[in-house]
Amino acid sequence: MKFVMDYIRKEEWSPYVAGILLGIVGVLAVLLSNSLLGASGAFENIAGLIGKAVAPQTFDNMYFNFIMPPGITWGVVLLVGVFFGGMLGAFSSGTFKWRLVSDEQWKKVFGPQVWKRWVLAFLGAIVLEYGAGIAGGCTSGLAISGGMLLAPAAYLFIAGMFASGIVTALIVYRKGY
Amino acid sequence: MTNYAIAGILGVFFGFSLNKAGLTKYNKIVGVFRFTDLAVLKFMLTALVVSMIGLYGLRGLGLIVFPSVPSTYIVGNIIGGLIFGIGMALTGY
Repeated sequence: MKFVMDYIRKEEWSPYVAGILLGIVGVLAVLLSNSLLGASGAFENIAGLIGKAVAPQTFDNMYFNFIMPPGITWGVVLLVGVFFGGMLGAFSSGTFKWRLVSDEQWKKVFGPQVWKRWVLAFLGAIVLEYGAGIAGGCTSGLAISGGMLLAPAAYLFIAGMFASGIVTALIVYRKGY
Repeated sequence: MTNYAIAGILGVFFGFSLNKAGLTKYNKIVGVFRFTDLAVLKFMLTALVVSMIGLYGLRGLGLIVFPSVPSTYIVGNIIGGLIFGIGMALTGY
């Protein structure tokens, strides 16, 4: 028992152990509420909710009426859980910390300026969400949730994601790659 | 209501596993694209294998019906993936 508790407190688990945990969560999501895990969809649900309130005409289209209906969906609640789960993980290992720039390696590559990280995070996230919108899901909603149902879409998406991810990393890191 | 409670609890475990796998860190995410740290792949593929076995097993026993499978539209899936990868490698999310 002590071994288990000690392991839970570790900052970083073996990715295989963490992966088994996520796999079980994925099965339970289907078993208990017939839903798939996902993250990007929830942002669209919230965006739709805000959009419908602020500019109902602009948001009165196919996408927000039928494909991604706005509202507090199962996925939105899941996302709130993810936030607290991640926090709980950090607390359990005692690594929780407020930071303006999240990572040392980021500073080495892009410089120590805080605004750079925030601007790039904002713009990068727009690119991310846009791509996820076109593909029909993100890493969790399409790659993992679709992949576990053996949906071809998931594997096409993973191929695309790695192809451009590797090229982007090559460009960013250049000689340091 | 129960459904929302389940979502919240599963979400906590989801976030917890992401944190423990280190996927909340920029260097982990970008590491997989530089082939210096394959934790993202190990994590993703382990989750895939475990849930595949669980889901197909449960379906075989007649306990679950698959929810709507993400639809395949080849060009959209690939182009979406390509755009997504750029954002992922830049931000580390």
